[in-house]
Amino acid sequence: MTPISIRGLTKRYGHIVAVKNLNLEVAPGEILGFLGLNGAGKTTTIRILLDLLRPSSGSASILGHDCQAEGLRARLNVGYLPGEMGIYADLTGREVLNLLAKLNDPFIDEDRRRELQERLEFPDSDLRRRLREYSAGMKRKLGLIQAFQSDPLLLILDEPTEGLDPLMQESFYHLLLDVKSRGRTVFMSSHVLSEVERVCDRIALIRKGELALLAGIGEVRNLAARQVKVLFTQELSATPGLVLPELPDGACILDSGPLWWNLKVEGPLGPLLRAIATLPVQDIEVTEAKLEDVILKYYREGGSAGKPGRTQ
Amino acid sequence: MRPATLLFQYSLKRVRALALATGLLLAALQIVLIFVAGSIQRSGGFEQLSSLLPPFARALLGPSLATFMSFSGIVCLGYFELAVMGALIAMTITLGATPASEVESGFMDLILARPLARHWIITRTVALTVFVTGVLLVLMVGGTAAGLRLFAPEDVQRPSPKLIFSLAANLGMLALCWGGIAAAIGARSSRRSVAGGTSGLLAFATFLLDYIGRLWQPAESVAWLSPFRYYNPFDLIMGDPLPWKNLAVLGAIAAAGFGAAYFLFVSRDISR
Repeated sequence: MTPISIRGLTKRYGHIVAVKNLNLEVAPGEILGFLGLNGAGKTTTIRILLDLLRPSSGSASILGHDCQAEGLRARLNVGYLPGEMGIYADLTGREVLNLLAKLNDPFIDEDRRRELQERLEFPDSDLRRRLREYSAGMKRKLGLIQAFQSDPLLLILDEPTEGLDPLMQESFYHLLLDVKSRGRTVFMSSHVLSEVERVCDRIALIRKGELALLAGIGEVRNLAARQVKVLFTQELSATPGLVLPELPDGACILDSGPLWWNLKVEGPLGPLLRAIATLPVQDIEVTEAKLEDVILKYYREGGSAGKPGRTQ
Repeated sequence: MRPATLLFQYSLKRVRALALATGLLLAALQIVLIFVAGSIQRSGGFEQLSSLLPPFARALLGPSLATFMSFSGIVCLGYFELAVMGALIAMTITLGATPASEVESGFMDLILARPLARHWIITRTVALTVFVTGVLLVLMVGGTAAGLRLFAPEDVQRPSPKLIFSLAANLGMLALCWGGIAAAIGARSSRRSVAGGTSGLLAFATFLLDYIGRLWQPAESVAWLSPFRYYNPFDLIMGDPLPWKNLAVLGAIAAAGFGAAYFLFVSRDISR
């Protein structure tokens, strides 16, 4: 059953269109990074999935259940971490966890909670404290524990590592990979591109409410130009009878020296390698494109939905 | 029912200190009033107090003046004194506006992300408002009973339990009415201050409307719009039976408010 299916989803606030005709499917067992600038429509989409907001048109379903018509069933197997943990400051961490767990199921899986506490270094003594004494990082950890504690089939996480220190971020990534290995699906919004690159299988980029890109991480990287440095054994100008080759489409020299070229290459490297085969090449250094480069390009300039990959 | 019970328990836990403190203060006020009334009675001061009242106040109070300026009247004052009414109404408005407060804090996001139907939020709010109002009234009546036992002079005429019950019931229904109005406003609002402030202002405005309606004949034609019009403690003190019609009107306003809260909350977008 498809964990998340969004079809023609539109949400308007008066004249403002927060989400426009969004189509998206999240496959079972995948981690999908949901990216976009502030106000792009990420949180609106997440809130529609949780039936906190009602769509103007279109539909969304979770695990085969319509988020609005069958909201209770849809949310039965969902763990949710909001962007900001709105919790009563006068309750203890344990009280919050118990309340939220019992709203799902009267029986609390203490072993699972303990395991999460250990992973996120959140001892019982912290759970006994009132939330007014919590730091931002502690609130985030508590939020993660409440989202993961019922071991849901689908996790919807809004900026999950916001406020976590690097060690805890590392623990969180391991936690994500662990739930993924057990077939759970994760739908997470994030601004941290390195995090998305590391843990996500695919990314969906939303811009001004519309899906601008939906692709696997590898495919997205391929969209960016790589930097290729070619080192020569001798100066090309001093080599008698040498004819400089014509560079293939997608490759151009950014900079050059007597013994090197610095090139930008879009697409596969094969044509470039064939083109420079006649040159006295000593070495080639390829710098992989960063996900960030592509994402920033999409943020700034845009592109059509799902350019390389699967959109519905 | 389990989700509403769970939420009710947690919400009660949050407000218990405030509710208990308010209840104990109100109960203490009843005891102090009885102590003061007993002192005045023993010194024979009620006749002197009546003569000190200005003519307009005598005209306003009419024949109930004699009843009010008595031990029994002062004891009953604890059920219609402005601060007492204000405290009870402020409490029910605070409780009625709980959904707005939870939307504002973001707590609503967390609980509604669970398989929890929205109507349970309002059911919890209704239960909490009714329960806390009941507890406050029980504490007040308890304070009156304790005060009468401890400080009432032997030979004085005491207010009957029926009169105390009638005053408490009418006052409680008035407070619940404002709880219902606050719930309706709070179900649509995303700010506690907006829900509580609007309800409070409305309560103040309608209180003034009723007050003016009692003093100035032309205003009486619209004073029926004020819920305060349906709480007439002087009539009860004068011996009138419990006005079921007034209770029904206040109950209907409360029910309409809570009903509107269900409808508005279930159909709204939850956003801060």
